[in-house]
Amino acid sequence: MRRWSAILGAIALGGVAGCPAEQPPVPDGVLSVSVEQTSAWVRNFNPLLPAGSARWPTRHGIYEPMMIFNGVTGRWVPWLALRSSWSDDLRVLRFDLRPGVSWSDGAPFTADDVVFTFELLRKQRLFDGNGVWGFLESVRALGAHSVELRFSRVFVPGFDSVALQPIVPKHIWEGVPDPMTFTNPVPVGTGPFTEVRVFRNQVYELGPNPHYWQPGKPGLKGLRFLAFPSNDQANLALIEGSVDWGGNFVPAIERTYVDRAPEDNHYWFPLFGSTVFLYPNTAREPFGDPRVRKALGMAIDRNKVVEVAMYGYTRPADSTGLSDAFSSWRNPEAASRDWVTFDVARANALLDEAGLPRGEDGVRRTASGKPLRFDIQVVSGWSDWVRAGQVIARGLSDVGVDAKLRLYDMGAWIDHLQRGDFDMAVSWSGEGSTPYRFYKWMMSTELVLPLGEPAPTNWHRFGDARATELLRAFERTNEPAEQHRIMGELQARFAETAPAIPLFPSPMWGAYSTHQFEGFPSAEAPYAKLTPNAGEESLLVLVELKPKGTAATPGAGEK
Amino acid sequence: MGYALRRLGFYLFAAIASITLNFLLPRLMPGDPASAMFARFQGQMQPEAMVALRESFGLNESSLLAQYGSYLKHVLTGDLGRSIAYYPTPVSEVIGTGLVWTLALTGVAVVLSFALGSLLGVLAAWRRSGWIDSVLPPLFAFIGAFPYFWLAMLALFVLGFQLGWFPLRHAYSYDIEPAFTAAFVADAAYHAVLPATTIVLATIGGWVLGMRNNMISVMGSDYITMARAKGLTPRRVMLRYAARNALLPGVTSFGMALGFVLSGSLLSEIVFSYPGMGYLLVQAVRGQDYPLMQGLFLMITLSVLAANWLVDLAYAWLDPRTSSNE
Repeated sequence: MRRWSAILGAIALGGVAGCPAEQPPVPDGVLSVSVEQTSAWVRNFNPLLPAGSARWPTRHGIYEPMMIFNGVTGRWVPWLALRSSWSDDLRVLRFDLRPGVSWSDGAPFTADDVVFTFELLRKQRLFDGNGVWGFLESVRALGAHSVELRFSRVFVPGFDSVALQPIVPKHIWEGVPDPMTFTNPVPVGTGPFTEVRVFRNQVYELGPNPHYWQPGKPGLKGLRFLAFPSNDQANLALIEGSVDWGGNFVPAIERTYVDRAPEDNHYWFPLFGSTVFLYPNTAREPFGDPRVRKALGMAIDRNKVVEVAMYGYTRPADSTGLSDAFSSWRNPEAASRDWVTFDVARANALLDEAGLPRGEDGVRRTASGKPLRFDIQVVSGWSDWVRAGQVIARGLSDVGVDAKLRLYDMGAWIDHLQRGDFDMAVSWSGEGSTPYRFYKWMMSTELVLPLGEPAPTNWHRFGDARATELLRAFERTNEPAEQHRIMGELQARFAETAPAIPLFPSPMWGAYSTHQFEGFPSAEAPYAKLTPNAGEESLLVLVELKPKGTAATPGAGEK
Repeated sequence: MGYALRRLGFYLFAAIASITLNFLLPRLMPGDPASAMFARFQGQMQPEAMVALRESFGLNESSLLAQYGSYLKHVLTGDLGRSIAYYPTPVSEVIGTGLVWTLALTGVAVVLSFALGSLLGVLAAWRRSGWIDSVLPPLFAFIGAFPYFWLAMLALFVLGFQLGWFPLRHAYSYDIEPAFTAAFVADAAYHAVLPATTIVLATIGGWVLGMRNNMISVMGSDYITMARAKGLTPRRVMLRYAARNALLPGVTSFGMALGFVLSGSLLSEIVFSYPGMGYLLVQAVRGQDYPLMQGLFLMITLSVLAANWLVDLAYAWLDPRTSSNE
């Protein structure tokens, strides 16, 4: 034992002599960000690969889109393009590009780069994750600073995918033999942070773009990313000051984080995430009956779900199912239907009416005498959803539905959802700049596949003819008034048919320390989403952040 | 020599069997890499992307047999393919982010635990009912009974967070360039103290107890009495006569433990944010990343087989009866 402690002592002493105990980072103007979780970084800055393959800054700091949708203000922010316009027949979309933008190697950014990027998407199916070539016919340059996209059919919602496409430089990428297997180790982009200064398995750092097009920006000297394998480690680093900006879930954040340094430590968890739903499989008995689905909706105590499962970080969903990301679209009449209000007596009455009488054991029976015993499928380890599932199962038993929580590994769970191999399941819903995609996932007959065939969305197999018509009408108009009218009707249709049972809108986690840096969005200054998980929107934040005390610089970006 | 070759033949057969299992097992899991990737991005990924993913990863067209053929070809040429979860990075590069650190941390911890544990077992048995014998085995059994995760968290919280004696994360400081310099090695060793100590503490009990019990039965043998009667020094009797024989069963377990070093130690990697193979393994399974799983399992099975072969050889050396046993 003595020998052991001697060895230990020697190691410890050697370590202490070599490097004095780890200090929180010295203020060097480099912002430490925690978004992705991994135990070791893999170098990949290819922005065209599916989300998550490339490191976070690839689409949030190195490469930029033509326009960015600001989910807080609900407006498109001109970025690499100054403006966009539709032709009268809505078949041609034109972007006028911002002059004077250059790539981080000094080469000018032109319309050729945009055309080249879209051509790459056409050649390589993997790059076209949004399926833009499903509605595009051609993309061509009109001079150096205009691009014209011709649509093969009228499809206004296609604007999102096109405007948000990260643009890559032609002069670099035309020399890449196989862009699909290209990890782009030394990126050249138009974004605020393009210079990879350090890349090791536990840390990497990006420096500012020397040719950034917004004068005086970015204010930060760089971005640093430490590797954390799980939430606990990331939270520990946030609390202890090694992370300045984080997008992790922090339990009891007031006590664990804010109270440690109330002046510096802040958070903002707005409900801009997707709404979490309980999906009943409408292709299975008795969930084809809207009365049954509505009764399930009334049997769930959402206040309790929010309290128990989400630590009170959210609120019960309303009968449109829309999260706060779509506040400007909400139809108050459709939002006030009562089938999402907890009411056991009414739920019971509705189930009686649907012809599902209780058996001796208190469990209801279908017309054919089959007891209502179901599984609720949840991903094991997603503790918030697991807790929500428990509350729901208990609520359902009060109305004579015997529901059991079944936990699956993520792969098996998504497989069951897609093949329709489930009774009920807890899952997320669609997002976007408008509720179009959300309602398309929920109600479009076009997306309903037979049981057994893998459906990427519309797992609950629900299609409504009227809603599908409305969605098609929405695809064909760019008049805001008309769009709102259609969306209002779609909401009414959702509230009427109850395709799935909304539980709560997801908060978007974001915490920051103003110890060294300032300019973060917050509930008081909501200029963009705080969370670094906000897609391209995080660019809006990255250009505004700066070391504390630096003079404000006039920005060219925010219009 | 014939013995060593015979064993080699057996291991070759075992390797072929496990290489085939390696290929089959991941594919028997429900789901596929494309849906797992889709699931990971919780609706941020468009449904159309999943179709594209399936196409690009070649999951749709080729039959299982065709996939097996190209898999065998790749294994023989040492090409492990491209990871799917970390697409398009080659599997070898992904494994490279953790391999050295796992070898260093888990390898050193396993060797330390075995060496120290066996030594303490010898001492405990030699002076039965002495203080080592009465204190250490129960103490280690007590510590070993704690869930490792809890033990590691406690060590991190008290020694790292509260007292600040040890770093909270990583295998080396973020502002130091990895290189073979005294400063870096000292820094890395300092970072390894907590994870390595917790692994040793959690595993040492088994070695101590096993060695102690073997020693006690060996010490009842006639040849020990004989050695004592000849008047050999107690030290010589203890180490050369008793311990050498008592070590045999331990060597087998040690070989197994050594072989599994490459599977990493997931929990220490997670608690101490230490890079390594355990985390990669879990990521590969979660993401249904067939190529990465195959690469990792291949390395683990091969290292287990290699370690066992070495144990066989060590056995023949420690106990010459093994190889002459026709």
